[in-house]
Amino acid sequence: MSANGNGAVEAVKDTIYRSCLLLDEEKWSDWLDLCDDGFQYSIKAWSPEINYDMTYFSADHKHLSTMTEQLPKHNTDHSPLKRHSTVYTVDVDKDGKTATAITSLVVYQNMLDGETSHLDSGENHLFLVGKYMDKLKIENGQAKFLEREVRLETRRLDKGSHWPI
Amino acid sequence: MPARNQKQWMADPNLQRGEWVDSRIYSDPEIFEEELEKIFKKTWIPVCHESELSEPYDFRTTTIAREPVIVARGPDNTVRAFLNVCPHRGMMIERRPAGSFLEGQPSGNPKRMTCMFHAWQFDMKGNCVYISREKEGYQDRLCKENTGLRRLRCEVAMGGFVWVCLDDKPECSLEEWAGKPFDCIRESIDAEPLEVFHYHKAIINTNYKLWHDTNSEFYHDFMHYHNRVTGFNDEYFARKNIGFEHGHVNVTSFEVNYDEYEGFESREELSFPKFPPNQWFMIDLFPGMNFNLRGSALRCDIMTPLGPNKVMIEFRGLGVKADTPEERQTRIEHHNSIWGPFGRNLHEDLIGVTGQGATMNDGSEPRRILHGRHEDNYIHDEVGLRHYYDEWGKWMDRLPSDPMQKYTAPAVAAE
Ligand code: FES
Ligand SMILES: [Fe+2]
Repeated sequence: MSANGNGAVEAVKDTIYRSCLLLDEEKWSDWLDLCDDGFQYSIKAWSPEINYDMTYFSADHKHLSTMTEQLPKHNTDHSPLKRHSTVYTVDVDKDGKTATAITSLVVYQNMLDGETSHLDSGENHLFLVGKYMDKLKIENGQAKFLEREVRLETRRLDKGSHWPI
Repeated sequence: MPARNQKQWMADPNLQRGEWVDSRIYSDPEIFEEELEKIFKKTWIPVCHESELSEPYDFRTTTIAREPVIVARGPDNTVRAFLNVCPHRGMMIERRPAGSFLEGQPSGNPKRMTCMFHAWQFDMKGNCVYISREKEGYQDRLCKENTGLRRLRCEVAMGGFVWVCLDDKPECSLEEWAGKPFDCIRESIDAEPLEVFHYHKAIINTNYKLWHDTNSEFYHDFMHYHNRVTGFNDEYFARKNIGFEHGHVNVTSFEVNYDEYEGFESREELSFPKFPPNQWFMIDLFPGMNFNLRGSALRCDIMTPLGPNKVMIEFRGLGVKADTPEERQTRIEHHNSIWGPFGRNLHEDLIGVTGQGATMNDGSEPRRILHGRHEDNYIHDEVGLRHYYDEWGKWMDRLPSDPMQKYTAPAVAAE
């Protein structure tokens, strides 16, 4: 791979890992700054139970920003979600302007409320398992998200799932 | 009143009997076991939707009151239910949640339900069609003609849901059991075939009745920012709770103002067939299922009680089978915005009932849980809960407000 290609791969990885840190810290608008104005986001899962490729959530940039702004008006479980991710593959398109990436993802819930916070706070629960399927554009050595599909394996979701993953 | 001492705290509230229940009905292990025997093994339970087994030889597995159940579509297109238990030595016959018997399995032939253990095989009607080395082992003492599966009462109805009753002689037919409460949406859900597009589950530590309570009362709108801004108006407060025989309840409709919630759109252009725009009807079925038609999407919650303080809730979303891909996508978005696992309301409901479960453990002091709001049956009246618990008392022969006593009718009629 050319030095240029390598630079693009690094830029993509950097954006993905930064997005994980920002999401972990619930800095939604900083996360959205890493996304193009035309950004499309979805959470999907295949269900063998009903034999259907399901969409659990979908939103564009504007919808995500209104939704995240309204989060404080909603009740919440206060246990933050913490991501562990590994970028498995980055494929830069021939023109070097766009790339796709697949990132393996595990999300833990770091209990604060739990059921009885006296017992549960400080504990971690495996919350979900999946992949980020990302499409990014590369400009001036920086990568920005064009699309993110969170592809879940998990279909049991208890309380705590009202945030972007 | 200032905070109360122990005696004041434990005293009966200034309400009529029937306007509160004792928290032991949510936490006592003996009561829980009795509920499985006396209620869940006796009543009609919707286990899945027929679109989940759309082709001949498709199957779906589930449990009712811990009993494993399999539902399969025969080559004659009839959906039948059986205990998912091998008559040989009791292995679970099918272990996957869903699939097709069209393909052979390592131990068995295509078009058969095969027990992988010793390869006994059954057809889609539950007949035993093959016992491996039958004559050698059983001579003429036992033969496949006498070793069929245990068949269960099964009906496809009310919008294509598959209903099963473990009791061969249910108290009444499914139609008599659930027909009337479904009248409000029946025309719409039976107009054309439906399809499930959403499935997820939650397993939470709370009693199944607490989830049903939340589905049956709208007073908790105060917990949902979304409901407050899209709902609260005169029309909203004119919605009524209507009780039906067998403990079922309807909540009547009103026009939801979705555009009041920033980022949400009206659901006018994509209602269910024959369903007026932006309407919202709700059916709460005894002992713990909920059907919710909000304009463009139908939601169904099915509860599987797992213990006094543990329940699995399976959430389904349905649209019309003939939807174009665009229509389907719109229905899915409408469904997800409030009801999806990443939506605005569902998560708040789960927090609410888990919080109740956390204060009602086996051995916790028996507390009074109040169901005493009266507002002429209008939306924030808790009549739906009173109606449910009166039915519960009859099935259990226990008094909901003092469950160690035998059932007697409440002082206030359950309405
Ligand atoms: S247990 Fe099923 S064949 Fe033996
Ligand atoms: Fe709710």
